[in-house]
Amino acid sequence: MNRTWLSKRLLPLLLIAAGVWQLASASWILVKAELSQYLISRAWERQLHAGEIQKPWPWADTWPVARLKLDQQKPLVVLQGITGEALAFGPGLHEASALPFAQEHAGNTSVRTTVIAAHRDTHFRGLEKLQAGMGVQLQARDGRWQHYRVLGTKVVDSTRETLPISDRPGLLLVTCYPFGSLEAGGPLRYLVYAEPVPDAAVIQL
Amino acid sequence: MNRPLFPSPRIERDLLILPTSEYYRRRYRKSRVGSWLLFTVTTLAVLLAAVGARAEDASQALAYEQVALEDAGSGDLLLVGREAGAFEPALHLSTAVDMRVRGLVAEVQIAQTFTNTSNHWREAVYVLPLPENAAVRGMEIVIGERRIVGKVREREEAKKVYTEARAAGKRAALLEQQRPNMFTSRVANIAPGEKIAVEVRYLQTLKFDRDQFSLRLPSTLTPRYIPGVQGELSQESAQEPVQEPVQEPVQEPVQELALNPHGWSLPTDQVPDAQHITPFMMPMAELASRGSHQMSIHVDLGMGLPLADIYSPYHEVDFRRQDGNRYQVQLKGGSAPMDRDFVLHWRPQMSSMPSAALFAEQSQGDSAQYLQLLLLPPRESGATRRLPREVVYVVDTSGSMGGNSIRQAKESLLLALSRLDAQDRFNIIEFNSHHRSFYPRPVTASQENIHRARDWVESLSATGGTEMAPALKEALSQQLDEQAGELVRQVVFITDGAVGNERALFEIIQQRLGQVRLFTVGIGSAPNSHFMTKAAQIGRGSAVHIGDLGEVQVQMGRLFEKLENPLVTDLRVDFPRGIKLEGYPKQLPDLYLGEPVRLVARIEGQPLGVPSSGELVVSGRLAGKRFSRSISLSQLAVDQQGDEIGSVWARAKIAALRDMQRQRGPLAGTTGEGERVEGSLKQQILTLALRYQLASPYTSFVAVEEAPVRSQVETLKSSSVPNAVASGQNLQRFTYPSTAAGVYGQFFTALLLLLCGWGLRARAAIVRSVRALLYGLVPDVRRCQTRLEHFLARRLSPATIKSGELPPHVIGTRIPGVQK
Repeated sequence: MNRTWLSKRLLPLLLIAAGVWQLASASWILVKAELSQYLISRAWERQLHAGEIQKPWPWADTWPVARLKLDQQKPLVVLQGITGEALAFGPGLHEASALPFAQEHAGNTSVRTTVIAAHRDTHFRGLEKLQAGMGVQLQARDGRWQHYRVLGTKVVDSTRETLPISDRPGLLLVTCYPFGSLEAGGPLRYLVYAEPVPDAAVIQL
Repeated sequence: MNRPLFPSPRIERDLLILPTSEYYRRRYRKSRVGSWLLFTVTTLAVLLAAVGARAEDASQALAYEQVALEDAGSGDLLLVGREAGAFEPALHLSTAVDMRVRGLVAEVQIAQTFTNTSNHWREAVYVLPLPENAAVRGMEIVIGERRIVGKVREREEAKKVYTEARAAGKRAALLEQQRPNMFTSRVANIAPGEKIAVEVRYLQTLKFDRDQFSLRLPSTLTPRYIPGVQGELSQESAQEPVQEPVQEPVQEPVQELALNPHGWSLPTDQVPDAQHITPFMMPMAELASRGSHQMSIHVDLGMGLPLADIYSPYHEVDFRRQDGNRYQVQLKGGSAPMDRDFVLHWRPQMSSMPSAALFAEQSQGDSAQYLQLLLLPPRESGATRRLPREVVYVVDTSGSMGGNSIRQAKESLLLALSRLDAQDRFNIIEFNSHHRSFYPRPVTASQENIHRARDWVESLSATGGTEMAPALKEALSQQLDEQAGELVRQVVFITDGAVGNERALFEIIQQRLGQVRLFTVGIGSAPNSHFMTKAAQIGRGSAVHIGDLGEVQVQMGRLFEKLENPLVTDLRVDFPRGIKLEGYPKQLPDLYLGEPVRLVARIEGQPLGVPSSGELVVSGRLAGKRFSRSISLSQLAVDQQGDEIGSVWARAKIAALRDMQRQRGPLAGTTGEGERVEGSLKQQILTLALRYQLASPYTSFVAVEEAPVRSQVETLKSSSVPNAVASGQNLQRFTYPSTAAGVYGQFFTALLLLLCGWGLRARAAIVRSVRALLYGLVPDVRRCQTRLEHFLARRLSPATIKSGELPPHVIGTRIPGVQK
């Protein structure tokens, strides 16, 4: 009797509960990604006005550093750091890299590659659509936009290669690969490299 | 006897009643859960395999088809991997090191040649690692036959002179101290294709431990982890009273950026000079393929002692013996890649092992004399009672420990665990971005606890940051006060020391040490020796270093000897009356087994080396017994020409003043008095460094050529000369982040689980509908109406399938309902 009860009632219930839990947690990731972007972009707007760093919510351990626009897609606000917590809320700026604007007021040739990473299934879903020649824009804290042109894309094995950060300006967008894959934590990474376009060369449409 | 006892009776085929569908239904009702499970698992496996295969296909296709970035013109950048066309350093570097060992001091000359391989005028910026006790006292630019001698100036002034010379197109070089073991070397205006060498000269006191002298020369560094908050936030949080910024030399956090554009980390609230100490790193293989970063070493060992043994643990060396017990040591093959520390050990023959060494030197400017002393305390004889110990092992599992380092650390830790006694107590703390204790408090070293600890240690892996401060605090506060006096308390700290906030950590050790003694085990090919030795010094412990997996046994053995043997305590050195003495260290530390008494002093009032000099008495206590040794000062030969000991003394005094600065660090600035003391200490260091011509936190070397070489129409480009990634390490700074939230996987699992759950719940209904469907499709022999159905039924009936073709009448008689 016990076995029948187990198999008839409990097992299906357990399975359904687990399923609902998985569904909820997956949806939560998506909802969190969307909602936080809303909050963060508000913080970004405030920051643009105030000129000081504004945390999107009081207990946040990261803060917005730039706004990124991939081609014609919806703009995303980039956060400082690439820890798991930061990436859950938005694209993150790699600590070893730097924004193109930070060095400019130093009045020197101090330049580094800008590396921005995000999850392939949340914010960087649209990375797949970027192709050579498309435009990417990055907005600084002072409101100026830096324009980039996509040079190409590449897939690398992260266990064998390191991030190509050097003392050249450029934007490197990183996300996981393959895009539709079910398993997380695979070794492949999808890179989009864009080179800066001088302001004069940008044609306003 | 294989025959069955009751052979089964033969049953006539005609009498056989074949099972009906009802029979099967009942028979398999019991195990249906199993079959469902089997079904689910199979489906899942098939689906996953299919999806995986598709993903794999896609990835391979893409990886091979889109490598065309080099063609697009950014090849320089994207390919720091193994492929061709990687980031090309504009400047090549080669190093020639010449060491002269005299007395207890090595005089080292490092000549670094920068070759400009580009078509532009260049400024080279290089982070130069040096030994932590180096007294840097010379810098010259060498262009062909010409030499431009550098001078010591106040830091700000030197920088100004250099910046102006650089702008004016003059050749110039600047050497700034960032940490006691880390300097920034800059050379401006290197013409295209030109070679310019910078020679740095320094003095280094030899290490002596367990009858063995040793010398360490770092050639690269492990990238430092920079804790704290970056960028503009630093100003904001600096105002908060919680986080007092580190009292690094009060220097240039903002405008400095203009001069040093090559740092990789931005300054943070805890490490205001982060950009100076995190150079651009490149894998050695990359650099070697361009012929850059090779180092040649020549050592002239002239101690005047016959040696029993010379060896270098990480390099192959050749040596030659000359007259007067001089030895010439060189690298086998001439040069070696600059990706690991060069270490040389040598051991005098037992018969001529010195028990004391004393060197004196006449000061050049005045009547004072300098004295350097090394003395071996007596060996302790007989067995001693082993005191129970309480040891907390702290192991660094940060990303910089990845690769060989973590293996060395684990091996050392396992060895240490096996050494514990049942009466000892222990605990383990691992730390990276966060720290984790094995037990909340130290536990007894029982077999079971040790066993569990071993398993735990085996499971450790290296990732994340190096937040050392909280782990250190935890380790120093773990030991309970109640057992004070009964237990010997020790903390063993296993790390590569790759942190930028050394001073803050030293402060923590100083404030919280209590009765504990802190020992450091340095790990890796290029550890931060400054951190290792200073932490052990403040922690009243000792430091060992493991650079190779094969060294674990020997070096840990040394550490255990120190941990388990009694100390030499209450040490003092007495000079004859009338001598005015300023000696360093001010307070002689307790000595562990094999360590010598060392002192460097400036003496005034009475000359040494004359018959009236008297004698010097060293006394102390070992295992409860007092001992004393005396050395006559009257026969001492005083060197009239040299100035080495003077420089070493000045360097030791600077270190002592820096320690005082640190002790007062947190108070300085809050009170007017603190500020004044701070200011006076800085002033003392400055005067000392200028007087003895030494590099210090407040003084730098600068050399400028008179005539400009670069015309103003040509621009100067500044390039960082990378440091090689230390052998056996991963370049953690540039690892890819993990960028998948796993949403699809979760959705898929959710879908499967829901389907299964719902399927099980509605099983009865499903089974019914499936059965109905099957009934509709598969003809039932019992309801055959047409000829075709009869034929099919006959073909498909179980009996037919089982025994092949049977005559139709047999079927007809046997299965009821076929004949209407």
